[in-house]
Amino acid sequence: MQSPQPSAAQETAWIRRAQAGDREAFGQLVERYQKRVFALVFHLLYRRDEVEDIAQEIFFKVFRTIGSYNHRASFGTWLNRVAVNHCYDYLRRIRASRVSYFGELTDEQRHQLESGTESGGASGFNAERRIVLRDLVAKLLDRAPADDRVVLALKELQDLSVEEIADTLKLKPSTVKVRLHRARKRMLEDLKSLQRGR
Amino acid sequence: MRCEAVREIIEEVGPEEMTGGVREHLLKCADCAAYARDWRLVHSGFQGLREEAVSEATIGFAARLVRRLDEVGAPSPGDAFLEQVGRRFVYVTLLVTFALLLALALPPSGPLRGPTVSELLSTEPEVAVAVNDPVFPYELSTASELAPDSAPGVKDGTQR
Repeated sequence: MQSPQPSAAQETAWIRRAQAGDREAFGQLVERYQKRVFALVFHLLYRRDEVEDIAQEIFFKVFRTIGSYNHRASFGTWLNRVAVNHCYDYLRRIRASRVSYFGELTDEQRHQLESGTESGGASGFNAERRIVLRDLVAKLLDRAPADDRVVLALKELQDLSVEEIADTLKLKPSTVKVRLHRARKRMLEDLKSLQRGR
Repeated sequence: MRCEAVREIIEEVGPEEMTGGVREHLLKCADCAAYARDWRLVHSGFQGLREEAVSEATIGFAARLVRRLDEVGAPSPGDAFLEQVGRRFVYVTLLVTFALLLALALPPSGPLRGPTVSELLSTEPEVAVAVNDPVFPYELSTASELAPDSAPGVKDGTQR
């Protein structure tokens, strides 16, 4: 259930109390931000069964390091940063240890992709086709390098602006724009290699 | 218009928002037209992912988490500092400092820095032979004459 929106002053008071080690105040912050963290973790990692565990690890980390929050950026941005860094580490860890199960396109995906390309990629895709494309993009994201995946998920799934992504990743907006363009380009190249069956 | 610039615009705006210049370029450039088609497919896939219901916290998530905070411990200034300046930076600095301290702490000679045993065995003592030395006014033919037992005054018991 969504808790009522606290005032800025109330949130600041919770943060200061949490910085002093007050667990109840930290609990209020968790209530306030859990939805955002769950959505972020879900979109960055796309692992439904692990979201709660990872979100819990993120909040533990936030509690341990909340003393470093200096109230310059918004607490939400700072929290996003901690969460993204945690997901980044997770992605790199699993990438090093796992085998990708998404090597090739299914026949249906190939068919949908070809017909989509032939028809000029009209924007009015039907529901069935959208599901196929959704799964295809999930597959492409899964194959993408961690850097690309994070920046694409923040932009395309979390719908953050370039400036918000820059704040979260501690980068310049111009750098974010370049990274986004490169990530999209690489994703389309990967799509082509999938179509060719590699 | 350059292809790269056109592609950047394609990624940011929908087909209906494209300017005349971009449309014109797409009519002439088959590669960019293919890029636009592929991007629209991928963009639609992203929309599908965005519409998917995200995982939500189970009831009592915050309360359970607060109960488990005791296992984590209180906010620590050390962790906060590490988080602030970046763990990797701290680790690299510590490593460099350790290497420097190690370099300074090593003695100027020893197994790591002194000459090797073979070098010691093969090197002859460096002797400065002064022919007209007022202290040793006689000529020395070989360095071996400088050995302690062959020095003047040692064999015959006299000392100059």
